[in-house]
Amino acid sequence: MQRELILHNNVKQIGPLSEFIEDLCDSLGLDTTLTFNLNLVLEEAVTNVIMYAYPQDEDHTMTLLAWTEKDENVIAFELKDQGKPFNPIEQAPEVDTTLSAKERKIGGLGIFLINQIMDEVAYRYEGNSNILTMKKNIKE
Amino acid sequence: MTFTVTEENGTIKGVMDGRLDTAAAPQFAEDMKVMMENADKHLVLDMEKLSFISSSGLRLLLSLRKETMAKNGDITIINVLPEVKQVFTITGFYSLFQFK
Repeated sequence: MQRELILHNNVKQIGPLSEFIEDLCDSLGLDTTLTFNLNLVLEEAVTNVIMYAYPQDEDHTMTLLAWTEKDENVIAFELKDQGKPFNPIEQAPEVDTTLSAKERKIGGLGIFLINQIMDEVAYRYEGNSNILTMKKNIKE
Repeated sequence: MTFTVTEENGTIKGVMDGRLDTAAAPQFAEDMKVMMENADKHLVLDMEKLSFISSSGLRLLLSLRKETMAKNGDITIINVLPEVKQVFTITGFYSLFQFK
């Protein structure tokens, strides 16, 4: 199984992204929680590109590839954009979940959620592209 | 997402309905201003119909929580769905709010 979705750098694209993920999870028979979490992870990753990869007033695209591995035991995503080089893993601020509301900072939560939910997250810059790969075991 | 605010016996209640994602966050920031202005009171957020939340939404809720702390008010979250609740748990936001 392999599917592809092209998205523009606009927050209105979160709707089509969510439909794409719902369809994908449906076809793999994934439960509500896993579907929710994959929706969350992809929204966070795509939002990062929309907010930071390109100037806000320019129209650009990114490509999302989804496929399964290991006999449909693992779902994998690759998000590719041609924006400015940005390693979300290295450049994400540290998130301390034990802090009080007063001390908690607003930011860095997106990549934190991606790292918490996915089993493997990798970034590389290759051929003028940011490539973020995320994998999750979907079977017990 | 729609956000409907009502007042009853000094408690300000906001009902969230739909998805609070990055696309919905700017409108929610606008809609929750009435909560920010009443952050010295008892605030209730009803999340029974909130089907999705991402970090954009959590950020706004954190700013509301900070405002209630500054003004000696409080927030209670009611009827949260399990999937939404686990986002609060993963991020450590669960301990920042009162849940009922």
